[in-house]
Amino acid sequence: MCGVPTLEIDHLNKSYGSLRALKDMTFDVRSGEIFGFVGSNGSGKTTTMRIVLGVLHSDGGEVRWKGAKLDLDARRRVGYMPEERGLYPKMKVGEQLIYLARLHGMNAADARTSMEHWTEVLGVAARRADDVQRLSLGNQQRVQLAAALIHDPAILVLDEPFSGLDPLAVDVMSGVLRERAAAGVPVVFSSHQLDLVERLCDRVGIVRGGEMVAIGTIDELRTTDTSRWKVVTPSAPPGWASTVPGTRVVRADGVTTVLELTDHTPDAEQRILRAALAYPPVREFVQVRPSLTDLFRHVVSAGDAADEAHASNQAAA
Amino acid sequence: MSRTWRPIWLIAAREVRTRLLAKASIISTAIVLVLIVGGMVAASIISANDSPDVTQVALTGETTVLAPALQAAAAGAGLTLETSEVAPDAAEASVLDGDLDAYLRGDPTSPAVSLEGAPDPTLLAAITTAVQQYALSDAITALGGDPTQVGRDLAAAVPTVNVLSDPSGAEFDPVAFSVAMATSALLLFTLLQCGSLIAMGVVEEKVSRVVEILLATIRPSQLMAGKILGIGIVGLIQVGLFAGAAAATAAFSGLLDGVDLNLGSALLWLLVWFLLGFAIYAVLFGGFAALVSRQEDIGAVTTPMIFTMMAPFYLGIYLVPNSPDGTLTKILSQIPFFSPFMMPVRQAFGAAQGWEVALSIALCLALVPLLVWLAGRVYSRAVLNTGGRMKLTDALRR
Repeated sequence: MCGVPTLEIDHLNKSYGSLRALKDMTFDVRSGEIFGFVGSNGSGKTTTMRIVLGVLHSDGGEVRWKGAKLDLDARRRVGYMPEERGLYPKMKVGEQLIYLARLHGMNAADARTSMEHWTEVLGVAARRADDVQRLSLGNQQRVQLAAALIHDPAILVLDEPFSGLDPLAVDVMSGVLRERAAAGVPVVFSSHQLDLVERLCDRVGIVRGGEMVAIGTIDELRTTDTSRWKVVTPSAPPGWASTVPGTRVVRADGVTTVLELTDHTPDAEQRILRAALAYPPVREFVQVRPSLTDLFRHVVSAGDAADEAHASNQAAA
Repeated sequence: MSRTWRPIWLIAAREVRTRLLAKASIISTAIVLVLIVGGMVAASIISANDSPDVTQVALTGETTVLAPALQAAAAGAGLTLETSEVAPDAAEASVLDGDLDAYLRGDPTSPAVSLEGAPDPTLLAAITTAVQQYALSDAITALGGDPTQVGRDLAAAVPTVNVLSDPSGAEFDPVAFSVAMATSALLLFTLLQCGSLIAMGVVEEKVSRVVEILLATIRPSQLMAGKILGIGIVGLIQVGLFAGAAAATAAFSGLLDGVDLNLGSALLWLLVWFLLGFAIYAVLFGGFAALVSRQEDIGAVTTPMIFTMMAPFYLGIYLVPNSPDGTLTKILSQIPFFSPFMMPVRQAFGAAQGWEVALSIALCLALVPLLVWLAGRVYSRAVLNTGGRMKLTDALRR
């Protein structure tokens, strides 16, 4: 893994008074990878991103890029879209983007070229001479993304980049993130639109209460210990599946039956298919895997239960 | 080095561009310029009206011989006088109309003078001198002397005037007072304006949240330094514009004719005290403004700051002119927050010793790094805190 430039978030801790906002937050994002950061509100996503950008100081832990501590000079090469959008409302779009590019260290000519490029790509080229406050919220969001991309960043950290965008803008934004990742940039973004995360991300991290509770590729996360299969057989009599060997029926409602394999020999699921084919037609035969939304619900509710147990234990003591 | 300074310059340049091109700032600067130039032109017209215009004196028959002596006496008394010959019957009506100031008739050695209302003592003195002169030359001629020679001798017989005054300048000096007033008012106006520009700029960045993007790239100290530098340049341009307009108007309108004032040094000191006052107050405005999260709350921070400027300003214009070298004045004018407003007034009155000025400047300069540290600490802790007002003590503690 040493060969691939990696953004490492290593055991970050942060407390606000008695509230522990981050508990040993750890993950890494490799060059060219899109990392989805999901978790309920207040779970520590924004805090983590702010610490990566040096806007907030951590109580402990370190952020590294290519093995070295991410200092001010390195941070200048990060593209950042904060959760609370921010641009000068009374400054013209073009002028503002050039100014931000120059603050990131670009010279005037490169800054102008880059401004022209990104306003074109993001569809706000016609608004360059307008004050930011005169743009619609969606267009302000596009300018905000342009502000994160304007200095050709080596790392992208985007807090809720998709919130408030129309479907077309979501497509533009997704395209830009894919293109940047393909150019070798590690991309970290947070979102509550889990279908989007599932579609876009190479890897996903689920956070709860300031801790990373699940991390991996979408496939890894969806892989479960048990193997469940769904069969749709409109003409089969009720109870047809109860006799399939090496399985048990998890759910049967109308034409749809869900079975779980109890016998883990290879091709065990083929027995289900053969049994179903006795009652044609078979409309569907598919492995049931939890969606990211299911995983998220599972992780978050499990955490809530644990928290409640913990709280009642404390109350008892 | 350049990595530290480049962002500061970029930020300062943006401030200068935004503030100078802002419609509101152009309009307010123009209004103040019109007030300064207009006020001074009006003052010069009023003071020009004070100087007497041409005094018309009518002579008849035998009094016409008084004309040369009257001219000479009037010139000596600082009067511009014109004589004319009129018919006796029309003359008194002209005096009553105001066309004539005086009308002389009868024996030139004891003429009858007709005037309207209370006699102008200067005019009366000039007429008396002229009549006596005439009588004197008459007598000299009668004695066989040369009245011209006597007149020349008389003119040469003047005392040499040696005006003595207290060198500490404790006497009230209207010119010094005007210069001190103008300097203090300009200083207060500009510092207040710069202070509120800085405070508004800081809160604007906080409210629009753009500060989070900026601070992901640059240090809080760089952001604050750039803002203060930029607005300082704007303030300096304004002070220069106002002071230059005032100086130019004064020179062209002749308001300062015959007034002993070193305009160059007055302007130089204005600049020095502006820079010191700005360094002291601007930094605090910037730091404290970060404590609030909404434009509406900005008054909570700027009002105490404005009071800390008004107190020394009023002491400067009321206390100092009355006792430019009193003990209280001497002490207060050394205290950094007071000195930018009090020391220039003492200087205008010529009441400040060189070492006193040097000491007050040194004290201001010594305080600046402390204030920068304090304001920087408050700023960097408070600027990302949203939601309500942060207490100063909280900002300092954490």
